[in-house]
Amino acid sequence: MTAARRVAGKLGALLLTLLLASMLVFFSRFLVPGDPVSFLLRGRKPSAEAVAQVSAQYGLDLPPWQQYLNWLVGVLHGDFGRSLQYRQDVSVVIGERLPITLGLVVMAGTMIAVIGLAAGIVAAVNRGRLMDRAVLIGLTVLGAIPSFVGSIVLIAVFAVQLGWFPSFGSGDGGFVDTLYHLVLPSIALAIVFVVLVSKVTRSSMVDQLGREHVEVATSRGLTRSAVIRRHVLRNSIGPILTVSGVLVAGLLVASAIVEAAFGLSGIGSLLVQSVDRLDFPVVQAIVLLVVTAFVVVNAVIDVLEPWVDPRSAAGAGAR
Amino acid sequence: MTLLDISQLTLDLPDGTRLLDGVSLTVAAGETVGLVGESGSGKSLTARSVLGLLPSGAVTTGSLRLDGLSVLDATAGQVLELRRSRASMIFQDPRAGINPMRTIGDHLTEGLRLCQRMPNGEAQAAALSLLESVGLPRPAEHLRQYPHELSGGMLQRVMIAGALTSSPHLLICDEPTTALDVTTQAGIIAVLAEQRAARGMGMLFITHDLNLAASICDRVVVLSAGRVVEQGDAREVFLHPHAEYTQRLLAATPTLSRPRERVVAAPSDAPATLAPPAVLAPPAADAMLSVRSLSKEYHRRGKEPVAAVVEASFEIPRGGALGVVGESGSGKSTLARMIVGLERADAGDIRIADRERTAARTRAERLAHARSVQMVFQDPYLSLDPRITAGHAIEDALRLHDSRGTADARARVLALLDQVGLGERHAQAQPRTLSGGQRQRVAIARALAIEPDVLVMDEATSALDVSVQAQVLAVVERIRRERGLTVLFISHDLAVVRRVCEQTVVMKTGAIVERGRTEEILDAPQHPYTRLLIDSVPRPEWEGERSATP
Repeated sequence: MTAARRVAGKLGALLLTLLLASMLVFFSRFLVPGDPVSFLLRGRKPSAEAVAQVSAQYGLDLPPWQQYLNWLVGVLHGDFGRSLQYRQDVSVVIGERLPITLGLVVMAGTMIAVIGLAAGIVAAVNRGRLMDRAVLIGLTVLGAIPSFVGSIVLIAVFAVQLGWFPSFGSGDGGFVDTLYHLVLPSIALAIVFVVLVSKVTRSSMVDQLGREHVEVATSRGLTRSAVIRRHVLRNSIGPILTVSGVLVAGLLVASAIVEAAFGLSGIGSLLVQSVDRLDFPVVQAIVLLVVTAFVVVNAVIDVLEPWVDPRSAAGAGAR
Repeated sequence: MTLLDISQLTLDLPDGTRLLDGVSLTVAAGETVGLVGESGSGKSLTARSVLGLLPSGAVTTGSLRLDGLSVLDATAGQVLELRRSRASMIFQDPRAGINPMRTIGDHLTEGLRLCQRMPNGEAQAAALSLLESVGLPRPAEHLRQYPHELSGGMLQRVMIAGALTSSPHLLICDEPTTALDVTTQAGIIAVLAEQRAARGMGMLFITHDLNLAASICDRVVVLSAGRVVEQGDAREVFLHPHAEYTQRLLAATPTLSRPRERVVAAPSDAPATLAPPAVLAPPAADAMLSVRSLSKEYHRRGKEPVAAVVEASFEIPRGGALGVVGESGSGKSTLARMIVGLERADAGDIRIADRERTAARTRAERLAHARSVQMVFQDPYLSLDPRITAGHAIEDALRLHDSRGTADARARVLALLDQVGLGERHAQAQPRTLSGGQRQRVAIARALAIEPDVLVMDEATSALDVSVQAQVLAVVERIRRERGLTVLFISHDLAVVRRVCEQTVVMKTGAIVERGRTEEILDAPQHPYTRLLIDSVPRPEWEGERSATP
């Protein structure tokens, strides 16, 4: 009952956030230099009639508020308008490229979760010892590599020298071939985030390891692995989840760089290209998509919190 | 039959620090042995070494036998077996010792399920009957609850039940009631005694509270700086202590029934003798601090508002000291926080030196408020910034209120430190290099820096050892004598209040239920709650005899 009300409350807040975000995304177009009409009429001599005609055709003669409402109603029906550069529906343009980016993000996310958690756990369990130092130094070095440099190194070693993986494109469209093509890009994308997740995991676990309840569990005769699993790792999940939620946006944005480096046509590279060409409808749609993904993931993490930490359901007073 | 036999146990850290130095003690089945000492004496470490819970890299010599098993030479498997069936331990703070993210049922059954391979249903049934036997009201419901839904006293009962799941032969209790209220403590001690008797367990009971040790132990072992300084029959040790350390410790321990004795503080740079407080209070008619009908409610979403303080009124004459006693949740800390301006009262007014201080809104008003009243907090480890030297902390307080020059401020800092028995080298020290008592004296010096009219001490000596507490109380007494400082002294410890304050009020669930001269309240309590508080304070049965012996 209270859980249902809480979820409903979160949902309301989520919708409000998305509405505000959509306004920001839409009206930011009026703040940046450049006019979509002149892009549409590029190469032609802009006569007054032509400008008026194109403006009317794209609804650009209406007051901004009206334009926003039109756009919003369209978006709610799945219609993001027409791309100025491709002369196609934005949903089609994005729909073609979304699977690549999603594949990239999902693969990188899996690597981040598995490797990041594993490295963090290994370091925390061996804290203060050689293994901990080695992992920490390794992570610090990796974390200092920007993803475009990482991409180039990966291509040079695994694609050019060893020839194990392809260096360019997303393959023939088959599922396995696509995955195969996405291995190097996913690694390039994951590196920095693996470092973040493992450092949070380590510090969160080290914090728990020093707690008295861990000593109590040890004194009751539980094996070390049971203590780590049931008391240390279990209690460390909260901070790890919170950081992971924040990483989602970074992952989507960083994919633009990696897509460019590996010649993948995903929405990251599409975004860069559309900004460059003042293709406002596409830019708006992609930014809205990223914002939505971010907000939804974080809302889900919020809703999960009482299950992660039962104290949070009781309010701040319970600590 | 000897259950635990520790002989010449030494423990060294890898850096060469010797923490235990030839500790020997025995515990027989069915016997309660008290391990008494101040913080850093090695009592917790001795207890932990029985369960093989040693600091990493520690080097031990000597012997430690439990049920015939030599613990120091035991394999990892034997240590697990020992923890699973021979001995278990109850820790000090149940709030910290029970995983907050798992249910009570999980805490109680995990040992049974994971170590004894008991099926879930059986483990639940065992947990249920244990919860019943430690006196929890609704065992079936508690199994599904999380720790934050239970009070501290209830959680300590859960902790005891958890330690008993393995049916240990030896039960180690590490300050099991230190974090609890005095009335709760009485219940926990009763449960422990009952279980020990029913199961014929041996019990090693660690405490810093000599009165508590005297009231429940058959024998006591007094530990100081990793050495056993005295051991023997509890009554004998308390009535006729041989070791000088034990004598000092006993003298520094305030008790309810010995009001005006001489206090011999432990090795200290503070004056060792306290004059009786009654002499201190100048016969002043004007009230320095006057609180009238002060109320405060806390509102939490979706719950009934909690009345933290209800219509509290009292006055403290200039130079007087008023004790506020009560258990946790009685509203005494909220009262203090309102008086120093950390919380805003819902109703009522606070007058300090005849000026209204209830609501400070502007910066100037807040500064004026702070000038008139300062607070010393409970935990000096938390109330001093770890990155700022002691001298700097005091200087900051000075400069906030005064635009004096650097040299002038430095000189004043030294004078203040001198007043609390510290010197120039302490001014340069980081808080972490100071002892608990030194830190609390720095905190007092900082509170006094701007010469407030009123000093509020909120459980300011509760976290300190008895000998250190005696030092700090001596400092407070001297400053009161020299400067006529007015003190509001909040404490759960009736014996300390007796030593410090002429007047006392007793609070229960936000309301003042009894007030009057401290001695009258403690000797002839009128309100049933005051009587309960006083009766719950542990005291040995032979206590009357000690005041008779010189």
